[in-house]
Amino acid sequence: MAGCRKDLLNQNATVSPNSNTFWLTEADALSALMGNYSEFRPCFDRDYHFDGHGDFLKMYNTGAAPISITVNNPSSYGNGAAALYRELYGSINTSNYVIENIRARLLPNAKTAASKQNLEAIIGEARLLRGIAYFRLISLWGDVPYIYKVASAPIEVDTISRSSITKVKDSIYADFTYAAEKLPNKGAAIGRAGKPAALAFRGKLQLFWGSWKKNGWPELEGFQQSATEAKTAFEGAAADFNRVITEFGLNLFRGGAPGEWGEMGKADVLPNYYYMFIPSTGNLNADGEMLMVITHGGNATNQSEEYMRVWTGVSVGLSQNQAIPRYELADRYQSTITGDFLPKMVQMNPSTNSAARTTPNSSVNPESYRNRDYRMKASLLWDYEKIMGIGTTETTGFVAFLYKTWSGKITIDGVSYDAFNDNTTNLSGLQSRKFVRNYGGQNRSSGDYNWPLMRLADVFLMYAEATNEVNGPQADAIALVNRVRARGKLPALAASKTASKQAFFDAIEQERIVELFGEGQRAFDLRRWRAIEKVFGPAYGAGKWFQDSWGNNWERFFFNADELVYQRCYIYQIPEAERTRNKNLTQNKPWR
Amino acid sequence: MLKSQYFLLLCAIYPGVSHARGKAYEEFDKGRHSAYRKDVFLTTKPFQRIVVGFVKDEEGMPLPGVEVRNLKTTEVAVTDGEGKFQIKASETDRIQFRLIGFATVEVAPKEAASVVLKAETSKLNEVVVVGYGVQKKGNIVGAVASAKFDETVSSRGLSNASSALQGLLPGLAVNQNSGMAGNNAAELMIRGLGTVNNAGPLIVVDGMPDVSLNRVNVNDIESVTVLKDAASAAVYGSRAANGVVLITTKSGKRNTKPAISFNSNLSLVRPTENVNFVSNYAKALTATQVAQSVNTLPNAFQFKNGTIDQWLAMSMIDPKRYPNTDWWDVVLRDGLGQNYNVSVNGGGDNSNYYLSFGALDERGIQIENNFNRYNLAFNLDTKVAKTIGSGIRFSGNWSQYKYNYTEGMTANSANGLDLFTAPAGILPYDPVTGYYGGAMAYNESSQATNAYADYMVRNRNNMNQKQANLNGYLDWKPIEGLVARVDYSLSYNNRFDWRADIPTQAYNFQADSFGPRIYVGSNEPIYNTDRENFKTQLNAKLSYDKTFGKSHVISATAIYSEEFWKDRYLSASRGTRLNPNIFEIDGALNDVQTTGGSSEMEGLRSYIGRLGYTFKDRYILEGTFRADGSSKFLPGDQYGYFPAGAFGWRLSEEPFIKPFLDKIKISSAKFRVTYGSLGNNSGVGRYEQQELLTAGHYFLDAAAVVGLVNKKFINYNLTWEKTNIFNLGLDVSMLNNKLLLELDYYNRKTIGMNRESDLSTHLSGVYIAPRRNIGDMSNKGFEANLTWNDKKGDFQYMVNLNYSTNKNTLLSWSETLQRGPLFVNMPYNFVYAFEAIGIAQTWEDVYKATPQGASPGDVLIKDLNGDGRIDANDRKAYPEYQLGRPTSNYALRGAASWKGFDVAVLLQGAYGRKEFWMNRVNSPFLGTANQAVTYEQLNQTWNLDNRNAEYPRLLPSGLGSTSTNNYLSTYWLQDLSYLRLKNVQLGYTFKNNLIQKIGVKKIRGYVSADNLVTFTKFKGLDPEKSTYANDSYPITKTFVFGLNFDF
Repeated sequence: MAGCRKDLLNQNATVSPNSNTFWLTEADALSALMGNYSEFRPCFDRDYHFDGHGDFLKMYNTGAAPISITVNNPSSYGNGAAALYRELYGSINTSNYVIENIRARLLPNAKTAASKQNLEAIIGEARLLRGIAYFRLISLWGDVPYIYKVASAPIEVDTISRSSITKVKDSIYADFTYAAEKLPNKGAAIGRAGKPAALAFRGKLQLFWGSWKKNGWPELEGFQQSATEAKTAFEGAAADFNRVITEFGLNLFRGGAPGEWGEMGKADVLPNYYYMFIPSTGNLNADGEMLMVITHGGNATNQSEEYMRVWTGVSVGLSQNQAIPRYELADRYQSTITGDFLPKMVQMNPSTNSAARTTPNSSVNPESYRNRDYRMKASLLWDYEKIMGIGTTETTGFVAFLYKTWSGKITIDGVSYDAFNDNTTNLSGLQSRKFVRNYGGQNRSSGDYNWPLMRLADVFLMYAEATNEVNGPQADAIALVNRVRARGKLPALAASKTASKQAFFDAIEQERIVELFGEGQRAFDLRRWRAIEKVFGPAYGAGKWFQDSWGNNWERFFFNADELVYQRCYIYQIPEAERTRNKNLTQNKPWR
Repeated sequence: MLKSQYFLLLCAIYPGVSHARGKAYEEFDKGRHSAYRKDVFLTTKPFQRIVVGFVKDEEGMPLPGVEVRNLKTTEVAVTDGEGKFQIKASETDRIQFRLIGFATVEVAPKEAASVVLKAETSKLNEVVVVGYGVQKKGNIVGAVASAKFDETVSSRGLSNASSALQGLLPGLAVNQNSGMAGNNAAELMIRGLGTVNNAGPLIVVDGMPDVSLNRVNVNDIESVTVLKDAASAAVYGSRAANGVVLITTKSGKRNTKPAISFNSNLSLVRPTENVNFVSNYAKALTATQVAQSVNTLPNAFQFKNGTIDQWLAMSMIDPKRYPNTDWWDVVLRDGLGQNYNVSVNGGGDNSNYYLSFGALDERGIQIENNFNRYNLAFNLDTKVAKTIGSGIRFSGNWSQYKYNYTEGMTANSANGLDLFTAPAGILPYDPVTGYYGGAMAYNESSQATNAYADYMVRNRNNMNQKQANLNGYLDWKPIEGLVARVDYSLSYNNRFDWRADIPTQAYNFQADSFGPRIYVGSNEPIYNTDRENFKTQLNAKLSYDKTFGKSHVISATAIYSEEFWKDRYLSASRGTRLNPNIFEIDGALNDVQTTGGSSEMEGLRSYIGRLGYTFKDRYILEGTFRADGSSKFLPGDQYGYFPAGAFGWRLSEEPFIKPFLDKIKISSAKFRVTYGSLGNNSGVGRYEQQELLTAGHYFLDAAAVVGLVNKKFINYNLTWEKTNIFNLGLDVSMLNNKLLLELDYYNRKTIGMNRESDLSTHLSGVYIAPRRNIGDMSNKGFEANLTWNDKKGDFQYMVNLNYSTNKNTLLSWSETLQRGPLFVNMPYNFVYAFEAIGIAQTWEDVYKATPQGASPGDVLIKDLNGDGRIDANDRKAYPEYQLGRPTSNYALRGAASWKGFDVAVLLQGAYGRKEFWMNRVNSPFLGTANQAVTYEQLNQTWNLDNRNAEYPRLLPSGLGSTSTNNYLSTYWLQDLSYLRLKNVQLGYTFKNNLIQKIGVKKIRGYVSADNLVTFTKFKGLDPEKSTYANDSYPITKTFVFGLNFDF
């Protein structure tokens, strides 16, 4: 019996193209690369989560982030990144899909030289993305399985074992090198990487490799400490960074100028640094500071970011204060007059001490925050600082931040302002301004800021670090650090700060803390420098208390912690669920 | 002959209708030329004559096919189409008349000229709807249960058919999860959880699969049949693995005057159980202090003593600024249901019709939850020519549904961000200003919920749904026994969802200003989603029934079927409304808008065959076969084959057994065996097996660009999930058919349950795990159905007891299983619990126990494996109990009538289920801000003054991850066995001259009550609910008052 409806049993999907009719044109290659970027994006555009493992940011939770990692505890997180592990491999598999198919199906049929060049550049980008993902994997897990081709059936990776970090590092290096050779000097569009990005990542890979080789990685089994290898790596890093700095005519955001501090308490004029982290201005990237960004669309694009939701409280776009600067950060901002640290502020409780608001150098006296690094005004709110209030998307006028006051009005100079509402989540006394928009039109979940995955200021500081490791403080390196400091309107480093390798290193660390706050760098720095004990105290010690601006103890980490707790911060746990499936997958030492 | 058989069937279906019979009787009378003729006794042979006679039923209709037996000579004759027979007999012989469904009669030859057989009051004569046809109950060999939807069902005022099925049929588990208006349908499951995929039965309404059962007007339903085994369900092949529920709607009767019936009823609805929130805010705050005192110094408590004292005092004089709100009271109201139905049915010589209109209006017990539905049904059958018949069936419905959360009161999420975060210290609403209150107390979180605002201005969900089901058929009976029939059905469904919340900000009445909490933002969008689904079905059927000789009856059926689905949706939203009271999309700016839309199609092609053979009414053989091709699978794997066979032995017809059975008063007994396989394709997505790229777009230069990602691995070996069912049954009718007993045993084995395979974490970041045929599961069970029917004078009564029990076992699983409630050789979702020793009363108790970080007031966990620590290895399995659903269900139904009175009772119960019952109602973990506090938390938690408390001590919610109180231990394990008085009703029918004078045939008035009493040890909301997270919509108690008029 013949059917009445022809093709009744052949119903084709309506909104998805069939993979068998794909890989015919260069446009297909580009679509696949964009797919690669979209898989890559969630692995890296919430890198601020890692700052929750450091000492200057409290991360409450990962909120609505697509990939959850344990973030709220600087002493226990190495087993909280199984989802990130999975997603990084997701991005790697996607890169493999792009690389393998262009090589096999498009490159052999490329008709013109331009076509070949374009396809190779696309392979270059996919290899760059693959390299960055592996770089993150080895930074956290050490030895990891290396998958370099498309799996044709699930069983192919079911018995995979880990490759040594050295081998994986070499493969990453090869990926970055290929990308650096094939990519154009400037990315084809905002959102696509160019040659400087590839070089900067190759430099960063070598810098990290140098750090590990120099400082050792005892938790990673079989990893050999080696001063000579470290030196080679630092030299390679410096060479790559130097090319980024000198060959492409790149400059810091707004020429590296500090801009205006504005008035204490007010937020209508803010330093330039602030504008680098809001979409309307920061993403134009006219000077080329952003070497590589992860892009986001705004309203209704399904490609939005939620930085505002994370970085501020209810009064600004119904946000959730998932990330709160720790009070300890405040003292890190140096004097614009002396260019050096100011005496630590004295924490005073205004509810029991009526003079707390007026005592010089009191933490709750706004005057204590005057004449400091412009990046402080651009990054933080302290008592009586104002920020633009936002309803769902509409601006509602300035609201004033006052620690432990989350409702009602605050009168400043006779003008009454709504109190900034943090819904009782702020326990430090500082709020973030960095990443918080000062204009309406987008709700907390429809941001379009392009996350800086690699930016020039970081390259300057990494160059300084790499050259300092090889030869100690160098003039060009000092100049670059001073350029970064100049955007905070800080004077050049005093001679004492560059007098020795260690002094310059400390100056670089200080600059990294302030300049890269909230950008996910600090935890990686602490680990590659083996500085967790330096910051939090040794094993079986008192750990470290974090406090608020009133002097209350807030939370303490590493109290009486044994060595294992530290070891588990230096290397992450290979996901145990996968190990029950795959007996060949070994576990890192502290997690056995 | 054939015609009269159909007539008989009709008579059997409608024993109460006399109009048609009267007419036929007249015709019969015209031809009763020979009934009383003198020449009945012919003198051809001495002593032995030919006796000629007629056999009729009680109403004078001729009975063909009656076995007429001379008990002495054993000669046998059969009556013809006019009920006429001839048989040789001498005067002293005895002649026996037998016909299934009638009481056997023995007479002397001289009395044989006119014999009247009385119909047995047996259910065996009922005609039961089975797949693609009807069968007499007496001939059924499969495991089939059926029930008529009579007044006792329609009088319950139910809004959906699924809940009406509760307690009606053995083997059909019916569980109601909510009393929410518009969402109170029950979940159906036949013979236990058959698979880890969709385990619900296939629903077929008037021959059309996939019609939504719960949108059919309960008053239009004639009968329901449940096909439980392979033999009966195999005709539905690839979708019948979990059984089939067949719904048949009413039709008119030929040759009847129009009968009009009007039914109306009114239901008052109350919750069966309430959540007891502490409405005294000051008291509730002390609970948070108690919880915090575990790890916080008193001066650091979130809520200070001053705040509490102030609230306690001020609330007595200024309840607006210091409110004590009982949220349960605020969000609950008296539910009300109204149900009106008018139907007309009748028929002429060549046609019959049924027309009905129903209106349903449900006002839920939760504010802002309403459901209205209007149903229209029209069924017409007409004869086009002598051998050609045709008919159409139309049913349409239209509904409006308004609700807040899909599950009612709360979003039912683990963090329960709604009713349970509404502290008593918030004023719901101030009618003077029109403001909704927000947090006011010092340190109360501004995110505290105003549940009233939550329901009134936020989560304003609306769903309008329209459905039309249309079916037309043409049948042709060219020769006797042969029927060719074509059916075409179209089922159309449109669903429109819209939502437009009203911008609202919380108001602080103490500060006289708007608080920080914005319940609904000022640019809240308007959302619309329009879904349109249709399904078509074409069936062509050829069937042939024939009796060869006296003892061979064969029947054959062949069917070709095509089913096609198309679903489409379109959605859009826009923010920034011109005015908050505008609810349509054009009334908003188009700067921020979203759209979505897609469609999906599916095809299913089937070939079905059924062969039946009956020998001497004793041995029944049946074979069924179905081949299904589905577009879900790849070419080459599309077809699945589902054969089944059945054997029935009517042992009461065997001459050598009959006398014995007679002695023990068994009038009929039938033994049934069936075996066959069924399929399930519900687990596989429509395009899942196709090699597709997935959208993964990106943004370049501030503009979206196309991105495509390969996320697919195709498992080319994927096949249908198959279920093999063995069924053994026994039907016995005894004590003059007063007692009917049906017993069934089954062994149901599901092979190759398909599931997303466990994929390496190195791939699952991008690849979607392909489906794999992963495990086997078995369900074994027993069902009994016992019905007692009797009549004593005017008093008629019926008692039915049905029982079913099921044992589920996971037979195999091809991937590594971790310790947990899923394990091989154990029931799916068995109870796997830590063993609780009890609450530690003293430190001594704590020290004596294995170290586990407990303090007095905490639950102590037993170190089951004795390794000196408490970890996941200390759990114990309880395979006799399962989570989620009971193993056994039972029900007792009774109905009686006396003169005008009728009464009906339905008791229903279940056992074999346990749950860990700890949710926001009784959780000993208390949040310190924006927290609703329940009576249990305040008064039934352990402290030094309340050592015998129900629950352990209160702890701050932050300790939830570490405390033993949070372990899934036997401490929280509750037995959810219950027995409930599901329904009781009382009616009176007026049928006197007075009302007949005004043209009313009869009036029935009744009262009915649902869920009046429940006997259970369970302390939660209701033992019948299937989930115990934080969904707090209770099941409802309903009181119905109704009137039916028949004109």
